[in-house]
Amino acid sequence: MQQLINILDGITLRTGQAIRWLALLMVLISCGVVLLRYSFDQPSIAMQEAVMYLHATIFMLGSAYTWQQGGHVRVDVFYRGWSKQRRRWVDRLGILFLVLPTCLFMLWVSWTYVGNAWAIQERSQEASGLPYIYLLKTLILMLPITLILQAIAELLRSLTATDTGAAQHD
Amino acid sequence: MTEWMPIILFAVICLVLMAGFPVAFTLAGTSLLFAGIGLLTNTLDPAFLSAFPNRLFGILNNQILIAVPLFVFMGVMLEKSRIAEQLLRNLGLLFGPVRGGLGFSVILVGMLLAASTGIVGATVVTMGLISLPAMLRTGYSPALASGTICATGTLGQIIPPSTALIILGDVLSSAYQQAQLNMGIFTPDTVSVADLFVGALIPGLLLVVAYLLYTGLVALFQPGAAPAVADRPTMSPRFLLELLNGLLPPLALIIAVLGSILTGIATPTEAAGIGALGALILAILYREFDLKRLREVVDSTLQVTSMIFLIFIGAALFSLVFRGFGGEELVHEVFNDLPGGVFSAMLLVMVVIFLLGFILDFIEITFVVVPIVAPVLLTMGVDPIWLGIMIAINLQTSFLTPPFGFALFYLRGVAPANVPTRTIYRGVIPFILIQLALLGLLAIFPELATWLPHEIYG
Repeated sequence: MQQLINILDGITLRTGQAIRWLALLMVLISCGVVLLRYSFDQPSIAMQEAVMYLHATIFMLGSAYTWQQGGHVRVDVFYRGWSKQRRRWVDRLGILFLVLPTCLFMLWVSWTYVGNAWAIQERSQEASGLPYIYLLKTLILMLPITLILQAIAELLRSLTATDTGAAQHD
Repeated sequence: MTEWMPIILFAVICLVLMAGFPVAFTLAGTSLLFAGIGLLTNTLDPAFLSAFPNRLFGILNNQILIAVPLFVFMGVMLEKSRIAEQLLRNLGLLFGPVRGGLGFSVILVGMLLAASTGIVGATVVTMGLISLPAMLRTGYSPALASGTICATGTLGQIIPPSTALIILGDVLSSAYQQAQLNMGIFTPDTVSVADLFVGALIPGLLLVVAYLLYTGLVALFQPGAAPAVADRPTMSPRFLLELLNGLLPPLALIIAVLGSILTGIATPTEAAGIGALGALILAILYREFDLKRLREVVDSTLQVTSMIFLIFIGAALFSLVFRGFGGEELVHEVFNDLPGGVFSAMLLVMVVIFLLGFILDFIEITFVVVPIVAPVLLTMGVDPIWLGIMIAINLQTSFLTPPFGFALFYLRGVAPANVPTRTIYRGVIPFILIQLALLGLLAIFPELATWLPHEIYG
């Protein structure tokens, strides 16, 4: 069991640690866009779109990692003061009734939408834009998939946690 | 019963939020449960749900909000490379020998930190960690010190270029278009992020001036509460040089970013990108740059960005379900049936937002509440820039108000134990009064927010 948790946690962690560098890349490319436009009077639509792709990838693939690291805000007026036991129940119920249904719904409702984009290899509407809209749209499926993996890890961790404080994320 | 579904949905979400599960998941999950009930009882058109993928793509594709991670990067970089800390120390040295001088420096640095994350917690924590010990050591009354820090920590969100204003600007601009389409105007006026930035300038500066005046008055009439720093620096050329060296570059960066947006030279996204690179270069110049710090900066940027956009996604599902249950018509009816027209509608919205500010942060309210109420208010003829500024200052006041204000919690978290919570509460009261006075002024003279944008952009 612990092994499965470690594997899932590892996937999320590595994804996050890789994805976070896209923020730096995004800064550099967006400066490149400005430079091209003002110094050489050459707007680069492909580069502008690249910034947008990076931006979308950061939060669509980074959300599970952010969850793992405790970065999604909670209204913790009461939560903060509750016992570990009680907080664990909040998390279990939340995962079962809020996270998992939402992710499954997102997968189900977006499947054809993304499939259609793949079928026509959808590309940018701008002639000089990037021809990868179908990849961008695939992020809509990646978000729920990465969240489900992390949800399983969080759920198992919460279920196997003992009250002696062995859980690492309390 | 069915016609009240939207209200029940909203109330249940607020209740579930209290359990403390992450806001984004709560928004999406609870809305989905309601959608399930709606589908089973045939009270919700499934078309609303099948619009979701397209909404999601709209979020991926949103051109304005691309500025968010870039501004976050810039803010975190300035924070992690301790540029803010140096700024505070230098200003403290400059103003320290004057009574109340340290208070002035804290307020000014708070204003400059605005570009920082724009998330209340972060700024209050940073300010609390850097300034509170310094102020207490100098002998400031703990009440004045904590009041100043809470107020200036929340000030950041209404001083451009704050992330909060970018998001609010984006949401208001789509609300404004929708309102005009509802009125049958098919070549709608637009309101942009830059409009909101310019609109926020005068009210934001008024707040800063009012804070400074208050601190000055305290220093004048209660010298014990805001004493001067004991050791005077010698005004040697070397000291002056060091002072300018710590002061000018960050100031220049912020002015350049803001200036290029306000003058229309650059879009907010372009300015944000340059600002982020600028912050990075500053960190290198100040020798505060290494790989470890860069890793921390990109990590924070990823987490804050994901946090913001996952809430946006949750709010998108909520708004589809809310609309599916006829929430828009309901809000419209309620507002139109209010005696007193626009005035009472606005007042109602302000009170509701103020109360919601106790449980929700700026971002959640902007994504969840503003899209519901703004189109109706704008259809009633409210000016979009004025509405945005009113919401921003209202929320800032809410974050300061005991016992639930966000800023107070965050400061409590970093304040030493010998500063009682009661003292923090007492310290913010004068600042709350200043806020309320400004809200009143804005209500009477909307020109405070709308004059400058109209003057600049016509």
